[in-house]
Amino acid sequence: MSKTITEQNLRLLVDALLKEGGRVVAPKLAETMTLYEPLATGQELDLTKLPRRSSKETFFPLCETILTFERDEAGVRVGDVDPASFPETVLLGARPCDAAAPSILDAVFSWDYNDEFYLERRRKTTIIGLACTTADDACFCTAVGLSPADTRGSDLFLTPLEGGGYACQAVTDKGKELMEKQAQFFSDAGSEKPLAPAEPAGEPLDLGKIKSWLDGNFENPLWTKIADLCVGCGACAFLCPACHCFDISDEGTEAKGCRRKHWDACGFGKFTNHASGHNPRDVQPQRYRNRIMHKFKYYDDKFGRTLCTGCGRCIRWCPVGIDIAAILQQVEAKVEVE
Amino acid sequence: MCDHSKNIYKPHLATIEQIIDETHDIRTFRLVFQDEAVRESFSFRSGQFAEYSAFGAGEATFCIASSPTRQGQIECCFRAVGRVTEALRRLEVGDTIGVRGPYGNSFPIEQFYGKNLVFVAGGIALPPLRTLIWNCLDQREKFNDITIVYGARTEADLVYKHELKEWQERSDVNLVKTVDPGGDGPEWDGKVGFVPSILEAAAPASDNTIALVCGPPIMIKFTLPVLEKLGFTDEQIYTTLENRMKCGLGKCGRCNVGNVYVCKDGPVFTAGQVKAMPQEF
Ligand SMILES: Cc1cc2nc3c(=O)[nH]c(=O)nc-3n(C[C@H](O)[C@H](O)[C@H](O)COP(=O)(O)OP(=O)(O)OC[C@H]3O[C@@H](n4cnc5c(N)ncnc54)[C@H](O)[C@@H]3O)c2cc1C
Ligand code: SF4
Ligand code: SF4
Ligand code: FES
Repeated sequence: MSKTITEQNLRLLVDALLKEGGRVVAPKLAETMTLYEPLATGQELDLTKLPRRSSKETFFPLCETILTFERDEAGVRVGDVDPASFPETVLLGARPCDAAAPSILDAVFSWDYNDEFYLERRRKTTIIGLACTTADDACFCTAVGLSPADTRGSDLFLTPLEGGGYACQAVTDKGKELMEKQAQFFSDAGSEKPLAPAEPAGEPLDLGKIKSWLDGNFENPLWTKIADLCVGCGACAFLCPACHCFDISDEGTEAKGCRRKHWDACGFGKFTNHASGHNPRDVQPQRYRNRIMHKFKYYDDKFGRTLCTGCGRCIRWCPVGIDIAAILQQVEAKVEVE
Repeated sequence: MCDHSKNIYKPHLATIEQIIDETHDIRTFRLVFQDEAVRESFSFRSGQFAEYSAFGAGEATFCIASSPTRQGQIECCFRAVGRVTEALRRLEVGDTIGVRGPYGNSFPIEQFYGKNLVFVAGGIALPPLRTLIWNCLDQREKFNDITIVYGARTEADLVYKHELKEWQERSDVNLVKTVDPGGDGPEWDGKVGFVPSILEAAAPASDNTIALVCGPPIMIKFTLPVLEKLGFTDEQIYTTLENRMKCGLGKCGRCNVGNVYVCKDGPVFTAGQVKAMPQEF
C-alpha cells in the first residue's frame, strides 16, 4: 500500500497521535542539536538533519529503573516496574540506519532470557522510517549492506517528494494499520516524483571477507596501530544505534532506592577490570579491538548479524578522528594482499 | 521462553541464616529463600553462579558454593574487595539479600561417574569446587578415588577449615593440603609448598581420571603443565573462568572472551576450550 502525505499533514498526524495518548518520538531541534525526542506538538518535528544520537533510546533508554527496594524492620520489599505501563509509541522519521538497528538488537535481548524492558517497548513501537536524500562524508550505510532508501526495520516508510511532502509506503501490517486508522491525513499517490536517494561514498565492503580476517587475527599489530590514539571516552558506543552494553547499579541508600540499567561501553578502562585488580583488557587497543570484533565477528558468530548500520556517528564525533569505515577498508585490503 | 510478565533482573529475596568467617576477609553466608515456592523450586547444578545483591550497593557475582544435594538453602562464600562485597559484609544474621540465578553452565557430573577425581584449588577458589566435592561425596558410590589438593598462602587463608578436617578424617577422600613456604604455623599438619609442585609430588594417576582446577591465574598457569606431565589430556581437565559480569544473562556485553560469553557458555570449561579462546581473561 502506498500513499502520500503533505508536510503539514505529517505534523497534524503527530498531533492526532498525541491526542490519542500515545508518545511520538521524532527528530527535533533541542537547543543546539537535533535529537530523537518525545514531541509535544507536530510543530516540533524537524526532519532536516540526521539526529546527533541514534534512536535506540526509544527501546533501550540511556538509564532506566528496573526495580525499587525499601527496607524496614520487617525486611526488604522489592517493587517491580511493569513494562505494561510503557506508552504506545510512534518513532517517526527514523533514518534507515536507525530504523534497521532494533531488528539487529532483538536477537540479543530475546536470546534465551527475554528482556521485557526492551521487548515490550519494541512491541509497542511503530517505526516510520525516512529515506535520506543527502549524506555526509561519514555516512557509509551502503558499504555495510544497507541503503538510504532501505525499508528494513520500518513499519511505514517515507520518501521525500520533489514538490514537497512524502510518499508513504506500508512495509508491515503494523504500518498498514496505522495508515488505515489515520487515513484522513494521507492521499492517493499521484504523479509526483520522489527525490533521488543520497549516495554515500565508498564501495560496498565484503563483510564476509572482513570477518574471515577477524577470525584469524585476534593478535595483530593493526590493533595498536589503529587504536593507539583512542582515549576511551565511549562516545562511539553511546552514539551508536547498535551498541548495547550496559551496567546495572543501585541508587539511593540501603533503606530505600532503585536499581538501574544504564549504558556502558567496552571502551571504558574499567569495563572488564576484576576486583583483584587484574584487567583482561588493560590497554586501549585491546578494548578497541573488542569493539570491532563484537560488531563484525562475535555478533555474527552468535546471531548471524553485523552490529553496525553504517550511520557514521562514531566517525563524525570521535574526538581523535578514529574512522571505523577506513579501518574496515584497511582490513578488507589486507585480505586481498594476504 | 516467552513469559511477558517476568522481570529477568528481579532477584529472589533470601534471609541470611548463618554467617561463617572463613578468614579475616572471606565470609560464608548460608541463605534461605523467603518465598516458600522459591525454596521448593530453586534448583541448580554444581558450577552455576548467581548475582547476589546488597540493596543500595548493587550486585556481585559468586558461584553457588553449596551442593545441590543439600536442598532448602544455598551458600555463597565471598571476599570483601569492593563496593558490593563490603556492603554484604556489613549485613548480619536475619538480614535480607537478593539472589538472581542460577546462571551459566555446570560441571557435567554424570560424565564423571565411575572415574577418579582430582580437585586442585588455591585460596578463595575452593568454593566453585566445594559444591562439586559435596555433590560427589553425597553420592560417593558413583565415583572411584577422590583426591583434593588445596593450598593457600598461609594457614589463616585456608577456607572451609572445618570441612578440610572432615575430609582429612574420611577414609574415602585423599586430602592433600598445603601452604606456601613461610605460611605454616607450629600446629600445621599439612604440606609446605606451592600447589603445582605439591600436586606433582602427589602424582595422581591420569588414567580414567578427571582433574578439576580452580585458582588464581598464576596457579592455573603452573598447574596445567604439571597435569600434562602426569598424562592428563586437555579434555580431562576442567576449570572455571571468572570474567567480570553484570547481567549474567548474555545481554550486557561484559563477560565475553572472544565470541564466548562466560555467563552463558561458561563459567565451566575444559582446558581444551580455554586454550582455543583468545587470551583475554
Ligand atoms: C562466575 C564468577 C564467579 C565468582 N565467584 C566468586 C566467589 O565464589 N567468591 C568471591 O569472593 N568472588 C567471586 N567472584 C568474583 C566477584 O564477582 C567479585 O569479587 C565481586 O563482584 C566484586 O564486587 P565488588 O562490588 O565488591 O567490587 P568492586 O567495587 O566492583 O571492586 C572492583 C575493583 O574496584 C576497586 N574499588 C572498589 N571500591 C573502590 C572505590 N571506592 N574506589 C576505587 N576503587 C574501588 C576494588 O579495589 C577492586 O579492584 C566470581 C566472579 C565470577 C565472574
Ligand atoms: S559502529 Fe559507528 S557507523 Fe556503525 S552503527 Fe555504530 S555508530 Fe554507526
Ligand atoms: S569515540 Fe573515539 S576516542 Fe572515544 S572511545 Fe570511541 S574510538 Fe575511542
Ligand atoms: S554478564 Fe552480561 S553478557 Fe555475560
